Amino acid sequence: MTGAAALQRWWPWVPLLVLVLLPVGIRETFYLDLLMTTFMYAAITLGWDIMGGYAGYVSLGTVGFYGLGSYAGALLLLRFNIPVFVSAPFIGVLCSLVGAGLGWIALRTRAAAFVIVTLTFTSIVQLLALNLKGLTNGSSGLYMPLLTLPNNLILLPFYYYMLALLVFAYFVSRAIRGSKFGLGLIAIREEEEKAEGLGVDTSLYKILAFAISVFFACVAGALRAQYLNYVDPDIAFDLFITLSPIVMALVGGRGTLIGPLLGAFLVQPLSQYLVFLLPSSVAGQLHLVALGVVLLLVVLFMPDGIVNAYRSARAGGSGWRGRRQTAPPAEAAP
Amino acid sequence: MTRADGAAPALPAGTLEARDVYRSFGGVTALAGCSLRVEPGTITGLIGPNGSGKTTLFNCITGFYQVDQGQVTFGGVPIQGRRPNEIVHMGVVRTFQVTRIFRGMSVLENMIVPLRQQTLKTLFRPAIGGHEQERAEHLLEFFGIVQLRTHLAGSLSFGQQKLLELASALMVGPKLVMLDEPAGGLNPIMIERMAGYIHELNQQGTTFCIVEHNMDLVMQFCDPVFVLHRGQTIASGPPSIIREDPLVLDAYLGD
Repeated sequence: MTGAAALQRWWPWVPLLVLVLLPVGIRETFYLDLLMTTFMYAAITLGWDIMGGYAGYVSLGTVGFYGLGSYAGALLLLRFNIPVFVSAPFIGVLCSLVGAGLGWIALRTRAAAFVIVTLTFTSIVQLLALNLKGLTNGSSGLYMPLLTLPNNLILLPFYYYMLALLVFAYFVSRAIRGSKFGLGLIAIREEEEKAEGLGVDTSLYKILAFAISVFFACVAGALRAQYLNYVDPDIAFDLFITLSPIVMALVGGRGTLIGPLLGAFLVQPLSQYLVFLLPSSVAGQLHLVALGVVLLLVVLFMPDGIVNAYRSARAGGSGWRGRRQTAPPAEAAP
Repeated sequence: MTRADGAAPALPAGTLEARDVYRSFGGVTALAGCSLRVEPGTITGLIGPNGSGKTTLFNCITGFYQVDQGQVTFGGVPIQGRRPNEIVHMGVVRTFQVTRIFRGMSVLENMIVPLRQQTLKTLFRPAIGGHEQERAEHLLEFFGIVQLRTHLAGSLSFGQQKLLELASALMVGPKLVMLDEPAGGLNPIMIERMAGYIHELNQQGTTFCIVEHNMDLVMQFCDPVFVLHRGQTIASGPPSIIREDPLVLDAYLGD
């Protein structure tokens, strides 16, 4: 193996190793918490991008699945005494089934219906959480027992669990990108009718992609509920969880493997840094405004995100969006 | 859905038959009882003035539109009401009037998207490689564009894009290929080249049904020819007869 090939093959493991070892050196809760939430957003964004980037179907239902995961984790712990660390993957699979069901309703049609159904789904789950008081304790929320760990270590299991979720999301996204399934999803994004006319079962592809894509938000929601030891409808269904991954994917580059990662690792620290900098009386609102400004700037100046802009700069052409919009070239002599 | 090759049960020889097909959009009747029959081994032509319903009929046959009334069968099996992808897996594939390819993908990737059959195993196979890539490159070679395989499909010339669209349709291993204006927008040299490919593929056993406005091409290559006018089939037969048919002349030249 040549040096360049080895680098190509092994470079993803270097940042991973750094992230695994970081908690040895860094003990400040602020930074570990920041890294953990960044992992969480990166995993959710990678998941969202399977549907929103590869297949081109924008979901506004991320927080619906996140909240579903939060409540499922809390309830399984409180009612059946199953630790969230054990239940989280199973909750993820369960949510994927819910996602498949929702997809079955919304994805047999094209485009706009999907956005609306995913948004509606979020509202429905939130209303259920608010009103099924016997189960969810309504707006008072559910308190979960603390993990029995010393205070300075209590963050670590969450840190590593989220990191593992992120790594898993990365490999799932990579496997899809390199498969015939992934190629089919991109075909759906580019020319859905054409894909169907070439034998691709577009409904099945979209439903499968959506089911896989919501897994990560769900697991993240379950873990986060245990991390906060508390879940209520406002926390579990914070619209920020839906919007952030979209901003992150747009900043990094939709429909790429690295874009969602890059977006999460840029936007989340930036946004938290702003919260830290600003006076606490306005931070809660102002960092949302800042996020909006970032989104605006990206859409204006780099509509395809960093990765796509970089690639097209290197190729001397335009990104995938630009390519789609170019007029058919003039007919050439044979 | 299985195909006729391999262990799958063989489908009956593929005669495509559309009988008394009706289709309207709101108050506009696009198809008013038209019929079409494509015998295996032929290059069947479908002509008619603008707005006579040719593309609508194509869409009805290939599952993109549902028929309001009438029957569409392929090899004796009804296909109306099936999804486009199911119809592809029965052996009928089509191209589009406005060339549709996946512009952001490479030429080779365009060839890999088509599915001969669908099982979960094929879905999670690596996209590029193996037997399928060989077949794709073989086809690209046939069409003389194999040297462009790593190029972005959107960067090809218009003529090359038309060739790519036909090549990728052939990846599904079709019995019948329905071409919507294969020569549309091509220069005369490219038209000749395209006609040559279609002719050669037909010799190798692929059946074609072609919508085309280029009358020279239709009269030279297609037999039989069906003529649509206002959503009805007004004539069908060998080109020499069609050329003389008073109803056809009236449809093209009359009011």
